[in-house]
Amino acid sequence: MIWKTAWKNVWRNKVRSLVVIVSVTIGIFGGVFAVAVMNGAIVQRVDAALNDEIAHIHINDPAFRDNYDIQLSIPNPEQVLSAIRETPGVNAVTARTQITGMANTATKSAGVQILGIDPDSEKEVFRLYETTLPETGNFFESESRHMLAYMGHELAKELNIIRFRIDQEVIDSLSGKAVPRELLDKLLPFEGKRFKSEKAFKKEIKGVLTLKEQHEYGGVIWEEAWSFRARSKMTLTFLDKDQVQTGAVFRIAGIYDIKNSMYEMSQVLVKNEDLMTLTGMAADEYHQMIIRLDDLESTVEVSASLAEKLPQLEVMHWKEIQPDLAMMTDMVQKFYAIFMVVILAALAFGIVNTMLMVVLERTKELGMLTAIGMNKKRVFHMIMLESVFLSLVGGVVGMIISQALIGVTAKNGINFASYAEGLEAMGYTAHIYPVISTSFFITVTVLIIITGILSSIYPALKALKLDPADALRTE
Amino acid sequence: MNNLILAWRNLWRNRRRTMITSASVLFAVFFALLFRSLQLGSYDHMFRNAIESYTGYIQVQHKDFWDEKIVDNTFAYDSQKEQQLLSDENVIAAIPRFESFALASNGPQTKGVLVMGVVPEKEVHLSKVTDKMVKYRLTSESIEMIKQDPNISEKIKELAPLFENTAYTTASRLQLDLGISDKDASKYMPALERFAQFENGSIRMGEPGVWVGDKLSQYLQLGIGDTIVLISQGYHATTAAGKYEIKGIVKLPLPDLDNKIVYLPLDVCQGLYNAEDMLTSLALAVEDNDDKVIAETVERLGAVVSEDQKVMEWREMNEVMVSQMDADDKSGMIMIGILYLVIAFGVFGTVLMLTAERKREFGVLVAIGMQKKKLASIMTLEMLLIGLLGILAGAAVATVLILYGVEHPLIFKGEMAKMFEEYGMEPKMVFWGIDSYYIWQIVIVALMVFLAIGYPIRKIFGMKVVNALRA
Repeated sequence: MIWKTAWKNVWRNKVRSLVVIVSVTIGIFGGVFAVAVMNGAIVQRVDAALNDEIAHIHINDPAFRDNYDIQLSIPNPEQVLSAIRETPGVNAVTARTQITGMANTATKSAGVQILGIDPDSEKEVFRLYETTLPETGNFFESESRHMLAYMGHELAKELNIIRFRIDQEVIDSLSGKAVPRELLDKLLPFEGKRFKSEKAFKKEIKGVLTLKEQHEYGGVIWEEAWSFRARSKMTLTFLDKDQVQTGAVFRIAGIYDIKNSMYEMSQVLVKNEDLMTLTGMAADEYHQMIIRLDDLESTVEVSASLAEKLPQLEVMHWKEIQPDLAMMTDMVQKFYAIFMVVILAALAFGIVNTMLMVVLERTKELGMLTAIGMNKKRVFHMIMLESVFLSLVGGVVGMIISQALIGVTAKNGINFASYAEGLEAMGYTAHIYPVISTSFFITVTVLIIITGILSSIYPALKALKLDPADALRTE
Repeated sequence: MNNLILAWRNLWRNRRRTMITSASVLFAVFFALLFRSLQLGSYDHMFRNAIESYTGYIQVQHKDFWDEKIVDNTFAYDSQKEQQLLSDENVIAAIPRFESFALASNGPQTKGVLVMGVVPEKEVHLSKVTDKMVKYRLTSESIEMIKQDPNISEKIKELAPLFENTAYTTASRLQLDLGISDKDASKYMPALERFAQFENGSIRMGEPGVWVGDKLSQYLQLGIGDTIVLISQGYHATTAAGKYEIKGIVKLPLPDLDNKIVYLPLDVCQGLYNAEDMLTSLALAVEDNDDKVIAETVERLGAVVSEDQKVMEWREMNEVMVSQMDADDKSGMIMIGILYLVIAFGVFGTVLMLTAERKREFGVLVAIGMQKKKLASIMTLEMLLIGLLGILAGAAVATVLILYGVEHPLIFKGEMAKMFEEYGMEPKMVFWGIDSYYIWQIVIVALMVFLAIGYPIRKIFGMKVVNALRA
């Protein structure tokens, strides 16, 4: 009964209620959507870390991670591998060797981590191979008499393995893609030119195009000018098992692109057997066993049972390997809640004001209700419910709109291309697919109800203070 | 004037409502100011760190060096050119550098590093690297000594092991980590400073000694007196390799840089790369670092440098950071935008109520001859006053906090500090003093009020007096 009355009361002054409802709608929508975008970026970061970069659990010599000493390989690797495979919850495992070295091309060099991998089992643990850029290679699949290396996009650009060029072919295919004639004319002076670096290319292109043209066609031009010469090579040099400098020429077996410039710059994958030949390590010497689990939720239990089975080795799960990642996932949840609380606090001012008006306006009516026997508790209840309804209607509409927009944008994502450089340097992609968990909607709903209740307290107390006799006499 | 008095009195007819509406503006202004202050302060601090420990505000480089950082893209040092650069009114000093990449190793430990050939005396003008030398370190021995000392409090003895191996460039940071108040500083600090003392040597031109970053030294497990091996590619594709003694450890405020920097005396560095007398860059220390002045200086210097050189300013050299800050800045603005939007609706709600309850009063006033224009201006003034009250109160509260924050930046410890460092930031948040962002809040609130006032003004001008009187 009282619920129905409160609900009807909301709609007695439609315009006023609608202003509050719309403000709650906008506040909740803005807040939830902003959170979904931020959360999307973080979810993608964690996904990339777990699927492409670190997987779920690492097992190695306890001292290995201190400075990646080549001598610290895992003893009895076959036994360790089978012990891992027998552990329930383990989906796949792969063994890696890891050394520090330098990658060189004719003109440039960079410091890298060289990871020796077994391509078949690697594919079961990591999804990195799925990010291979088209026509750059096939992740060690084809037979070759050369040693093969699989490298990151950023490093390939840095070492001039990926170049940017504009020639007749590029211009032809651009005109095939409906790029206007005037724009192509502007590119003509560059014909036949190979740019020294991506930066140089971007700078020169920006120099001749208008902002609008850059925005509209910059992406297409970049894609067409991007060029990878098949059978490109680089030299990897490093110290072998006896601290003697060694190295070899590797042919590129693919270029991966995970939108994390730091990882792309530093990690080069080669076949285990090639690395073993060069370093003088034995055929089954590995530095790390890397595990993918069936279920991410079981991370802590599985790593505990592995640690028990393999007491002489260090077993670390992803939250220990990258504590900042785990901590950030926890911390952002708090940040989202604080952000919503700030918005709701701002909304509360409007709700308090409106409810205060409601009480003052209905002085006579409230007096009447008390006079005919409605007790104070029920009056309090009625006002509180009205306030909760007011905020909840707006909140629900806001959440529905944000969910709809999240659904729409999640399909193609939102591309913050102009911030790509900065975001990718921190390991975040600029192409964000907004996403938010159902539990966040529940939290927000609870917060909205609390806001409704809290903002009704002051006006409701005002109503309780009314003396029925006086209230009845007011005009 | 009369209008203003009327508006002011009107405000207090419903005191509660005025207060709540003003409070909502106060709330938004307070949050927005504090948030902006922290954002702007942190950007400034980060840029300053990057500029002052690495790039400087302006550099003269070989024209291709920035795009392709190889040893071949260098230029020969020319003292005549240097004099010309120094004659610019805004240039205080020219600091020659030779910057390159190398593989550093110590036995089995190897790592890619940034090699920086410098003239130690000249760096005083810019990177002040001598100020960033590690002065104290809580080694296991020094922690043992702390534990043995009966005069040191239990709390310090408990805290010290948490910071084992942490390096300090100032005593004040050591004091902060060990939770010692300024009052107790004189009691404990002298002993602690003695226990944690860390001795560095200097590097001199012509001597094969180096300074390395603290993080790098820990990774390579190198201490003072140890030898570091550098291997790289020299001028015109020669092999470059050399052995150097570690003379000192520096701790740079940029964790990324701290993890890879090796300082060599300039001539030793040129020798390593077989590039005698060549430079990769001349960093310029400037008198005035205002954006506009820097831009003008860059333009003037552009005419001075030779054809194969170019002048770069800090923004270009810290592109990635500029882009990160930009993304962060925009997202911060969106959040503040949402907050203000919500408050704007609150203000509009108040305007709506005011108009509804005074419908009859308006009718009466106009009926007895008050101009509609005057009525509208009173309403406008009323709302502006509400906004103004909110702004003043919000700004007052925020300013107190901000002024305090400018003097006492937030410094993070433990896990939080690690997370900051993981993102290449110093674990420190600095407030930005009172500046133009204050004006923006005023503009936004004023805009909000003017948007809200549109409704009653339309009502007033479209009012039929007869109908209004009957309301």
